[in-house]
Amino acid sequence: MKSTFIHRISQIILSAFFLFSCSSDLDFDQVEDFKLEPVFVANLAYFDVPANRLVNNGGNQIAYDARDFDVFRNKFLTDHLKKAAFDVEIENTIERAFAVNILLLSADDSVLETIPYVVPAYNGSANVVKYPTQIFENQRLDLLKQTVKLGFVVIITAGPPLNQNSIGDLKLKSSGTVYLEIE
Amino acid sequence: MRKIFLTLALVSHFCCFAQNKEVLYNFTSIPQSSLVNPGADVSYKYFFGFPVLSGISANLGSSGFAVYDLFADNGIDFNDKVRNVINKSSKNDKVVTNQQLELFSGGFRIGGKESRSYISFGLYQEFDFFMYVPKDPALLALEGNRNYIGKSFNLGDLTAKAEILSVFHVGFHKKVNDKFVYGGRAKIYSSGANATSTKNSGFIYTGQDTGSPNIYNQIISSNLELRTSGIARFTKDEYEGSIAKDIAHNTFFNGSLGLGLDIGLTYYIKKNLQFTASIIDLGFIRQTKDIETLTYKGTYQYQGANPDFTNQNDPENIFDEFDAAIPRDTLYNKYTTWRPTKLYSSIQYSFGESRSNEDCDCLKRTKTRYKNAAGLQLFAMNAPKEPLTAVTAFYQRNIFEKLDVKATYTFDAFSNKNIGLGISGTFGKVNVYALVNNVLEYKDVSKANSIAFQFGINFVFQDNDD
Repeated sequence: MKSTFIHRISQIILSAFFLFSCSSDLDFDQVEDFKLEPVFVANLAYFDVPANRLVNNGGNQIAYDARDFDVFRNKFLTDHLKKAAFDVEIENTIERAFAVNILLLSADDSVLETIPYVVPAYNGSANVVKYPTQIFENQRLDLLKQTVKLGFVVIITAGPPLNQNSIGDLKLKSSGTVYLEIE
Repeated sequence: MRKIFLTLALVSHFCCFAQNKEVLYNFTSIPQSSLVNPGADVSYKYFFGFPVLSGISANLGSSGFAVYDLFADNGIDFNDKVRNVINKSSKNDKVVTNQQLELFSGGFRIGGKESRSYISFGLYQEFDFFMYVPKDPALLALEGNRNYIGKSFNLGDLTAKAEILSVFHVGFHKKVNDKFVYGGRAKIYSSGANATSTKNSGFIYTGQDTGSPNIYNQIISSNLELRTSGIARFTKDEYEGSIAKDIAHNTFFNGSLGLGLDIGLTYYIKKNLQFTASIIDLGFIRQTKDIETLTYKGTYQYQGANPDFTNQNDPENIFDEFDAAIPRDTLYNKYTTWRPTKLYSSIQYSFGESRSNEDCDCLKRTKTRYKNAAGLQLFAMNAPKEPLTAVTAFYQRNIFEKLDVKATYTFDAFSNKNIGLGISGTFGKVNVYALVNNVLEYKDVSKANSIAFQFGINFVFQDNDD
């Protein structure tokens, strides 16, 4: 009884107080539209191998490594990832042409996708190639989300083998861009 | 993420109160004015507040933006409004809130009719919130780092503290002679919930620096700490209950305890020239109940998932590396928080003697009363980066025997045209008061950067009420 009395009094006082004030039209339902759409860039991978470490013993696949790439273990990221992009830049100062393949590998080491990059041979002038951006959307994005490792394969084209005295480097730099949508 | 962002946005809009009570200060016909100066020249035989309705106050202040900026129904996309608010605010913009509710209060004169010593007491509940606009982290969450290559996002922008507590107080004030009044008040704080994150530093940097092997040079340096008391159990999955009820219970019966002190004085330099000063909430709370401190401390440089063609058995895991570099640690140490201490001072000049309606003042005990008073007040409050300060000019007028009004003009971080109005009337034994500030903003409260109001009802008994 008493609490309803107090409640009513405070209601009356408060409404009297607010009667004297005005306010522009406000729409608090707008928060429903609230959406964060940040775009983050990050390093993806890099390597810098000198020619004398790319010595091939007859085969043309001369280097391979796979790296854990477990950012998609993060549920928050996979839930809100709308689009991703890879940018790769390769500088070759070895007088041989290469192919570099980046492999998206699943948990059971099966290849989800192979992204090939053709690397021209060095001929004395600047030899930096910026490759077209790889865009991951829809089904391709779903494959990317299953990726837990990145594989790197360096393939040398036919020609005289490299040896301990070969000079030059093969350098790769890359970045990833993620487009998030958080509602 | 979205919830966190929204909660921050809403909290900053509905609870933005500066703690300055410039209209109440030295408004001595209101017994609660002794809460902002225990040495105020307040006199009564005894008084008690109407339970729960004797003192209700709320203050909202946001120095960077107003409710209108976000929620105006004007067809602009909400996300663009959020962006605009973040872009135009600075990291020194603050959002401040204070709310108080007096549950009971009272006071009485001690030592007979000639005595001018008084005891007062009461219990009130208080909520404080203080936050600087976390500009850099908000920008990063809104836009990401792609368009900010070379910028170092400052994690030190994250500064906030919040507390809900109850305060039991007993005060004493004495009018030593016609010139001098002093008073003090002891307070026992009981904090139901506290969250403090005020000593953060660090940065998130993405640059394209010559010499860095990969495309970007990415560094996260983090020195973040969030201390909580009375909150941890609500965050656990197994918690089933009502958070509001449990916090209320803890606030009054099972809080972390602290002690505080208010002191103040009034001094009449001349009969019509008065100086006052007070220090309020000089105290601390020892946070001991349900403590949990989270820290993220460390530095991490991210270069990528880099193949090493010479050594293929060298697993490297981005998350594990990150967790090892900047681990999330949970600590359970008790900690001490300091109350936001307030400092007030005023100088007041009175003029225009009033004629009393009372038939005769045979004992010549009543001092000369003035109809008008004008003067200046100062306010300062400690805050994490720098103190909040305000200067107020005021004019007070006694309209009838028992009806006083006060008008104030305040300059502070939130506004430079803050006009406050207060009215206090005593009808029989019932004293009713209502104080508002920033009245100019009431024509459109949604555009206000700060709003405060206070009202209450008391029963006041003077000697001539016998």
